[in-house]
Amino acid sequence: MSLLSPVEGWYYKKVSKDEKMWVLISLVLCIMLFIWMVMWHVYGKQNPSSTTYKTSTIEFTQLSEAYIKKNMIGVDNGIPVVRPEPNSDVFLMAEMWRWSPVLILEINQAYRMHISSKDVVHGLSIQPVNMNFQVYPTYDYLLEFKPTEPGEYKVVCNEFCGIGHHTMIGKIVVIEKEEDLALYGYQDMKKSPAATVEKDDGEPMSDADKAILGEQVFTLKGCGACHKTDGTVLIGPSWKGLYGKEEKVKEGNKVFSVVVDDDYIRESILEPSKKLTVGFENLVMPQVPMNDEEIDYVIAFIKSLKD
Amino acid sequence: MSNTIELTGDFQSAAVPEEQIFRTCDITGFKVDLRSEKLIKYNAVAAVVSLLMAVTAALLLVFTRYQPVHLLNAEWYYRLVTFHGLNALIFWIIFFEVAGLYFGSTVILNTRFSSPKTGWVAFWLMVAGLVISNYYILIGKADVMLTSYTPLKAHPMYYLGVILFAVGAIIAVVLFFGNLMIARRERTYGDSLPLVAYGFMTAAIIALITLASGAIIYIPTFLWSLGLVENVDPAMYKLIWWGLGHSSQQINVAAMVSIWYMVSFLTVGGTSINERVSRTAFVLYILFICLASAHHLLTDPGVSSAWKVWNTSYAMYLAVLASMIHAFAVPSSFESAQRRWGYNKGLFEWLSKAPWSNPAFSSIILAVIGFGFIGGTTGVIFGMEQTNIIVHNTIAIPGHFKGTVVIGTTLTFMGITYYLIPLIFRKKISGMGWAKWQPWLFFIGIALLSISMIVLGQLGVPRRHWDSTFSGGPFTYNFNPAVDFFWALMMIGGTLAFISVCIWIGIVVTSVFFGKPVNGPEDMQLKISPLAPPEKKHKGGFEAPGTLVLTFIFLLVFLALFFLNWKWLAATWYVK
Repeated sequence: MSLLSPVEGWYYKKVSKDEKMWVLISLVLCIMLFIWMVMWHVYGKQNPSSTTYKTSTIEFTQLSEAYIKKNMIGVDNGIPVVRPEPNSDVFLMAEMWRWSPVLILEINQAYRMHISSKDVVHGLSIQPVNMNFQVYPTYDYLLEFKPTEPGEYKVVCNEFCGIGHHTMIGKIVVIEKEEDLALYGYQDMKKSPAATVEKDDGEPMSDADKAILGEQVFTLKGCGACHKTDGTVLIGPSWKGLYGKEEKVKEGNKVFSVVVDDDYIRESILEPSKKLTVGFENLVMPQVPMNDEEIDYVIAFIKSLKD
Repeated sequence: MSNTIELTGDFQSAAVPEEQIFRTCDITGFKVDLRSEKLIKYNAVAAVVSLLMAVTAALLLVFTRYQPVHLLNAEWYYRLVTFHGLNALIFWIIFFEVAGLYFGSTVILNTRFSSPKTGWVAFWLMVAGLVISNYYILIGKADVMLTSYTPLKAHPMYYLGVILFAVGAIIAVVLFFGNLMIARRERTYGDSLPLVAYGFMTAAIIALITLASGAIIYIPTFLWSLGLVENVDPAMYKLIWWGLGHSSQQINVAAMVSIWYMVSFLTVGGTSINERVSRTAFVLYILFICLASAHHLLTDPGVSSAWKVWNTSYAMYLAVLASMIHAFAVPSSFESAQRRWGYNKGLFEWLSKAPWSNPAFSSIILAVIGFGFIGGTTGVIFGMEQTNIIVHNTIAIPGHFKGTVVIGTTLTFMGITYYLIPLIFRKKISGMGWAKWQPWLFFIGIALLSISMIVLGQLGVPRRHWDSTFSGGPFTYNFNPAVDFFWALMMIGGTLAFISVCIWIGIVVTSVFFGKPVNGPEDMQLKISPLAPPEKKHKGGFEAPGTLVLTFIFLLVFLALFFLNWKWLAATWYVK
């Protein structure tokens, strides 16, 4: 009678025994579900943290860059490698399109991970252990992880973050003992050569030193997410042999040629959307905040890749 | 029903003589407002067009994610994910629901449409919204996914399209209440609303709350995309957006459950064995779904665990309870009616002697099964704070809502269409032979698709991801080799479901545009059952023992999946 008004006295009809039984069982089950979640906070070992710090993308970028500069012991595929002390604060930065740094952790030790994004929303997904958390810009999510199994883990991004989303993959290595480092090719990592170059006032730096620092900027700022240095084209043009090359660019509706020199590189970093290289017009490079010195180093680095 | 209708002066239709507004249905006896009927037809057609666009995109997406084929490039993959989401989850569902709301507030209440002109304004606003949003997606100006989490930015016209659609939908919902008010004032039904209309009213109330959430978040986002607002906080955006995104699923559930009761009535003459219980369950939906968006923030920063646990459950998951109540009440309405028709042998004769050749009946039974066993179980488990860690943003999540929205809502809407074609469009169904197995094909297809996605997600595969080989990334990752099997299964399921939708659309289009007209009850291919005879004497025992057994099986499946998931969670790293 669901299409007609209910029959007289419907409101007072007694609930049948079986329906009563089912509703009661369901209600008990629903209450149990609630209690279960609460009890897991007491007895369970996996609970999302309640600690978040408000930050800004600039502040978090500075914090994590400083953290990496101070602690980096090497580079793995263009991404700095850090081996944090147990029980220390670790900064994990998500950006279009990479996770940095690569982390070497010890089994059964706790690490306070500060996780945030430099640009859009990302998804932290540690595989194969399959733990997933949301990452926002301007929110620093503090999660204390304690790895329980040794091995190599990958950090996948599982929240859509733009066209390069599928290339965003990072790495966490969990070791039981020092010898395990060899399993991942990390046995020789102490301090990377890039990190050891210290700026010396007085004497002007050599181009080679600048290039080394430029590589460090390349690593820290995540240029490698789009630009390769071995000639392969990813999302942006490769840097290999780029310096001095003639490139067709588009400014507004005009198409003309430019020679890639210091000024052009500087302009491309400062105003990425002004001149677009033909063939790469669809994906405008994001604004990457850099100071003059850093730009100099990057130019030196690109020069050093001149075949 | 009373024949004298007092038309009060404050409605525009008051001056039109009654016989020009109504026809009396020679099959059901309902008085049908012709202007309402036309609106129902147009909204239903727009729904079908949206569904066709959605499933076309879906097929291309399935064949992109199936890595051996990897059909689309990255740009078009993400573009079509956005396109698919918007057309499937918003346009198809809401156009059909508007048709349902108009049907539920005029036809079955024997009443006239409050303001047809405004109905057309609503319709064209929604069409405009559909066209604008889809256009800006397809030209590549809105590759932001359905969720469009800030600070990803789309073209302002994309947001405007969504806003126009939402405004149209809000107007339609207000008209529903207008119709209800006229029916009430003119006493065109008995003392209480029929259960189906009551369910639709629940859907309409939730729709207003939900669409208001949508307005609260899309308007500032639109202004932000124009550069008039500096910043839309990403966490706030997500919280409020899901006030639209998830709560709107409760509109679907309420509308879908109403149709389940309606089909029980049409096919076997059944009704809820206790209307008070069923109606209470509908009220629970309204009261306890308000913060459904909390389910989407379980592994997010910004809100505390106490907030998450409380707001997903309000201490006792009463919205879940409502669905559990319907899970008993709907099948038992079939069982009770069938038993009164004399199919009384054993536990399940009522089921084996059910009208399985009626595609509306099979659709609804399959929808109930899929919604409960696939969508419902995973929904509750994934929606608990800690277990969400092992599925958040994985492909298991769309797997879950393929079980709810696609097997549940979409199959239900497809099923009821087999009655709407003769009763509203007044055309015979062409291709009844195809119609009989279309629901089965769809069920099998989506069940395979959905279960495969859930398994893939449990193995860590992300959703909305173009290339699970991570080509071009600094590292790579190989998922558990079992994924290959499930990718293939997902592709097969998706293809079957696509074929089934094409068959359904083919039946609908050929029937509506080229079918033979229905001239009376003799042309009715699907049975409309008379009311089941009243019970002889209620023994005070079990009214639906077969249903009780089925619900216990459901409970066991749920518990098995529940403990499995918590076991998997317990095996992960420690985190706090």
